[in-house]
Order: sequence, then structure tokens, then C-alpha cells
Amino acid sequence: QYVPVKGDHVIGIVTAKTGDLFKVDVGGSELASLSYLAFEGATKRNRPNVQVGDLIYGQFLVANKDMEPELVCIDSSGRASGMGVIGQDGFLFKVSLGLIRKLLAPKCEIIEELSQLYPFELVLGMNGRIWVKAKTVQQTLIIVNILEACEYMTAEQRKQALAKVSGN
Amino acid sequence: PPVSAARLAGERLCSSGEASGGSGTYTRHGFVYASLAGCLRRSGAESGLPVVSVVRDAEAQLLPDVGAVVTCKVCSINSRFAKVHILYIGSTPLKSTFRGTIRREDIRATEKDKVEVYKSFRPGDIVLAKVISLGDAQSNYLLSTAENELGVVVARSEAGVQMVPISWCEMQCPRTHTKDFRKVARVQPQFLQT
Repeated sequence: QYVPVKGDHVIGIVTAKTGDLFKVDVGGSELASLSYLAFEGATKRNRPNVQVGDLIYGQFLVANKDMEPELVCIDSSGRASGMGVIGQDGFLFKVSLGLIRKLLAPKCEIIEELSQLYPFELVLGMNGRIWVKAKTVQQTLIIVNILEACEYMTAEQRKQALAKVSGN
Repeated sequence: PPVSAARLAGERLCSSGEASGGSGTYTRHGFVYASLAGCLRRSGAESGLPVVSVVRDAEAQLLPDVGAVVTCKVCSINSRFAKVHILYIGSTPLKSTFRGTIRREDIRATEKDKVEVYKSFRPGDIVLAKVISLGDAQSNYLLSTAENELGVVVARSEAGVQMVPISWCEMQCPRTHTKDFRKVARVQPQFLQT
């Protein structure tokens, strides 16, 4: 179970749109709130294009045990820096929180080896959610399966699996 | 002397020949019935019949008035306001608690837009506040702590120990020495007990 922490970057799913507030599921015990003004270049006239069911990559502005968590897709200087609505297609899946931290470590071997395989886009959320998009559906699913299996595979098993895939 | 005995609503008290109905009773078919569940009170009226009445509570309910200082406990906080239960009015405890709201702009007198509710109150704090309005249809009294003497009086730290005030905006836990932000009330020295 994920516990929201201030400053963490997470992937959330928009579940409701009420007036000027979005309710986002981040995998915690409560739904987080996301204001429509918390996007780069958003004003009262210029609303962001967010629908129910969209994926959002954002960070927590407020996250403590007494209040409802608040997400923003903007950093302290007002720039998006990679946050916001995640594009169409791609595949979202859940892994353990420990694997995410391993993948986020600098010079992660798993990511380097996978990038030798195919080019792909990857978003990692600290709440255990990963979003992957490669050129074809098959490539995407291969990357998803390898990332899910990285949980319990050793380094040699992973190299063997990658060799088998790239050989095919 | 008034006879007090528990009566149920709808119970027949006496015939209308013996006594006449007062508050909390009604008369039907020549008898006096109780319309409330409570205590029976019989008043011996000198002229005419004695009057029977049924009262629910011996004392009348004390209601918070606008401008009264009340003691309340914070039950939940939000980025816009804090919800509280009103426990005492002045120094008299209440039998049933009322609900109150302290809006973000009513927490402090100065720098109202820089206020953060999370840095002023937490759930479980005991707060001295003043009633500014009797509230809306949801019967939520509107309270304010925008004075030096109003604010948090008792607060517990994460360790569960009662915190000691350091300044008007900080409190410290005596065991872990961690500082927490609260809107602290400046209690008069004669009311402090060490």
C-alpha cells in the first residue's frame, strides 16, 4: 500500500472532475485532489485538457496524515518539467515499491539493458505504477513482462531473457 | 413540592378534573396525556386547578452567543477550514457538543492570506475561539481565533506527549524536542497551572 509523501512523483488516474478540481487515484488510502490551475500555462480561461480516465504524472504538494493529499503538475518555479497528462497508448502496470526505487537509482542496469533492445518511453511513479510505450504493441508487452519479472530474476537470468528476446 | 417521576410520551397523567395540562402535555377525551418523555412536574396553583407539565431536561440548554469565548476540540482539518466540536461555553461544560467551523481567513488577524491551516491546528487540539456567527443551515457555528488570547491551548505531539508553547506560532514536545507549528493562545498568567 502506498503512503503519499510530499515531493514524491507519482502516476495517478483521474476518476472524477468536479468544477475546478480533479479527483485522482494514486493507489493510497485516499483520493488526491488536483487543481486545474496546477498545470503549466493554465489560467481560468485556458483550462487543461484532462478527461476522466486520463493518466497524470505529478508530484505531491501536500501529503500528511491529517489532510487530503494534493497533487500538482508544476514545480516550484512554475514549469512542467515532464509532469502533466501522459499521452495516448502505452501500457500501465503495477510493481512493488522496492523495484521502483531500484529502477530510479542512477545508472540502473535494467534500464540500460532494456534500452539496448528497443527504443521506448518509460514513466516511473513512486506509487508502484509504471507506464511504458514502444513502437509496436508486441515490443511494449515484452518490456512490460521483463520489468515485471525483474522483481525476482537475478542479473544472469535477466541477461539470458534479454538475449533470447533480441535473438528472436 | 414538585413530584418528579419519569413519564413516557403518550402516558396518561391524570383526568382533566384533577389538574390542567401545562407544557409537554395535551388533553384528550377528558384526560391529560404526556407529549414528551421526561420528568413530571406538578405545580400547585392557588387559584383553580394545579398544573401538570412534563419537562425533558431540568436545566435549559445553554447556547453559544455571538461574541462568546468557547473551548473546542479540532476534529478535522482541510486546506480551507477546520471543523471543531464545541465543548465548553465560557467555563460551563456542555452536555451535547455543537459543531463549529474556523475558516482559514479567521485564524489570524494579520497576514490572512499566508495562513496554512496545517500549521495552525491539527486534529485533537484544544482551541479557545470566539463565536462570530450562529452559522448556516447546517448549524455550524462560525468561530474565529483572530486575537492574541485565542488559539491552541493544549496540543499533543506525534509522540503523544503534551507540547509546551514556545512562541505564538510554535510549540515544542518536551520528550523529543521536535518543534511543531500551531497558532498558540496567549493565556493570562493567572489561569496557567504548573
